[in-house]
Amino acid sequence: MTVANQPAPRHRRKWVHDWPWMVAFVVPALFIVVIVQGYPLLFSAYLSTQDWILTNSPSSEGFVGFGNFVKVAQNEVFQRAVRNSIIITGSAIVVEMLLGTGLAYLASGSSWPMRIVRTILILPLVIAPVAAGTLWRMMLNSQMGLTNYLLSFVGVKGPDWLGNADWAVVSVIIVDVWMATPFVFLVVSAGLTGIPFELHESASLDGATRWQSFLRIDIPLLAPLLLLTLIFRMLESLLSLDSIYTLTLGGPGYATFTMTYYIYTLGLRSFNLGLAAAASWLFMAFAAAALGFVFWLQQRWQTSQ
Amino acid sequence: MQLSRSTIMRLLAGAVVVAMLAGCAAVAPAAPAAAPASEGAAAAPSVEGAEITVDYMQSGTYDKAAEALKADFESKTGAKVEIVTAPWDVLNQNNITDLTTGTGAYDVMSGEFWIATVFDKMLPLDDYVTRDNYGSEFIDGIWAPGPSNFYDGKRIGVPYSADAYGIWYNTEVFEQCGVEANWETWDEYIAVLDTLKTCLEGTDVAPMVHYFGQIEQPAAIFLGMYDGYLVDKDGKYGLDREKAVAALNKMQSLLDYNPEGVLGFDFNAGNAVFLNGKAATMVGWPSFIRADADNAEKSQVVGKWAMANFPGPGFPMVSAWNMFISKDSANPDAAWEWIKAYANPENGTKWMAEYGIGSPFKATYQDPALLEQFAHFYPAQAANLNKAKSLPWTFAAFEAFFRNEGDFHQGKVTAEEMLDNVQKEWDEIEVPGALVQLAELQGLTQK
Repeated sequence: MTVANQPAPRHRRKWVHDWPWMVAFVVPALFIVVIVQGYPLLFSAYLSTQDWILTNSPSSEGFVGFGNFVKVAQNEVFQRAVRNSIIITGSAIVVEMLLGTGLAYLASGSSWPMRIVRTILILPLVIAPVAAGTLWRMMLNSQMGLTNYLLSFVGVKGPDWLGNADWAVVSVIIVDVWMATPFVFLVVSAGLTGIPFELHESASLDGATRWQSFLRIDIPLLAPLLLLTLIFRMLESLLSLDSIYTLTLGGPGYATFTMTYYIYTLGLRSFNLGLAAAASWLFMAFAAAALGFVFWLQQRWQTSQ
Repeated sequence: MQLSRSTIMRLLAGAVVVAMLAGCAAVAPAAPAAAPASEGAAAAPSVEGAEITVDYMQSGTYDKAAEALKADFESKTGAKVEIVTAPWDVLNQNNITDLTTGTGAYDVMSGEFWIATVFDKMLPLDDYVTRDNYGSEFIDGIWAPGPSNFYDGKRIGVPYSADAYGIWYNTEVFEQCGVEANWETWDEYIAVLDTLKTCLEGTDVAPMVHYFGQIEQPAAIFLGMYDGYLVDKDGKYGLDREKAVAALNKMQSLLDYNPEGVLGFDFNAGNAVFLNGKAATMVGWPSFIRADADNAEKSQVVGKWAMANFPGPGFPMVSAWNMFISKDSANPDAAWEWIKAYANPENGTKWMAEYGIGSPFKATYQDPALLEQFAHFYPAQAANLNKAKSLPWTFAAFEAFFRNEGDFHQGKVTAEEMLDNVQKEWDEIEVPGALVQLAELQGLTQK
């Protein structure tokens, strides 16, 4: 008897039977995704090769190839914006991951005080970034702000948070951490509840300390979740514009001028569609490279385990 | 120019793409199809039944005045008015997108020289002005090119607010220290600051305050100290280097007279210092502080402040919002009626009293009762308005200046390095024709 003569497995037959339905359900969704995401992406790719300032002309004034990309990449303001984005995002996500994870451990448990603490800790998540930026702008005012007032109680003379270029960067990082740590906290808290208690119990019986349990049980089990959180946070922080806009306006000078701020000014203030699209693609390449770096780190970590 | 629907859709899609990738939302107005506009008429036609859309900055002032006017205007003319408000950035984006795509969503638009790149798409108003003998009641300097927006020698804008940078001073402190606010130049003003500094030593009162942390504002002080050109012989942005360096360094020296942490002061912080009596003088926008300064609940200086001359050799920067009529407006006659109803001496005085909007009309500053009530404010304000000028910079050019200036204040670069950095950015910017004209009309081009 040949293989061809054998009856097809039951699940295969079912799949074959179901595929028109699957296509019927998937195609509309796929169509929407292609239209909503594919078309703008393709159009922005087209824009990035055009000499087109909307206020000068209602249509493109010519093909410039990679000229816009070269122009943006060589622009000193863009280079500073990249540097600022790396510093702000890099610092913020490290603090957020550590702080969020630490708080999730400290606030774990099902007692009512812990439940209240958890509720309070996630409050910043529900505040709009624009409002958060404005709120912190008032709190970080060096003369009349709450932050320096509170610092004065412990004998510390607060810095000029928003007036000094270096402290302004720190301020942006603080606001990012304040807004995003609850997200990390929430995700890690959920992850912790999914770890079977028996694993910790066995480890404890084998003489493992709490720290060893954390390193050998929790971290490996939470790793996929932490990676996902890290990626979310990194992208969100890189894309952040509203809180910086209301907190520092990208200043003083160019101190907190990030890549998204740069693209915003090119696209929606100067209406230079070609340069803004090219800068956006460079931004995407940068974000993709950063993601690649995270995945590379993860792979190295897994190999070393 | 009328565009095809597909071109409009492509343009709007382009704007949306840029906004999406930048992580922010563009506001591209959807509008009914545009209709050709008339270029003025011989007699005022009836506008009954016309529907117009007018836009104003969401500020709690200009927009509130429009709301207050709406019912009366509608009942008198029979026209319907829709008021659209938006924050400054979004308002400019809406207007520019609307004009470049030719959609005609807004009949009356609010703006200033920031949208000069689309001045060619505004309807010339000269015929309307002549027909209705309109304009003679404005302050001369405000009705002139600069504060009033022109394109190709034709009026396209009617100013409806007027504010010029000024210097406020605490009369009580001045009396105590034996100084007078009679400066004509910045050097004379700095000499007064020196006296004040010595006199106020050991107190918590600073000789001066300005919102240096509101990063786009200190440029106004530079413009007051600098008396060179802003557009060079080739029609490109540029500065007289020697004069600019001198002005920048003089400006930097002002920081010594300000309270500690002044580089972080925004509008609220700067105004609060003066209102709390902690600064002898303040450089800034009068409209942002005048109402509070006379309010005993918000001010410690009620009856103890006055406004003084904005020193030269440069000029006080003006903020004069203009109303324009889009060439794509379907109802330009009704739009013009709205402009006249909003911007007239009676309402100018009323808006100033009720919403703090600086009046562009002479009558407001000549009214005997008001003049007596505001003797400490009106004469200096009117004088500053008369010599105020509009910046012939695009926002990109302005931003290049104030951001690099911020680096200079931070001590990251010298004045010379700052100017090099600014010039590098300016070299990439094309100066719109309307702004070259604006610079020429105001004597701000290289001789």
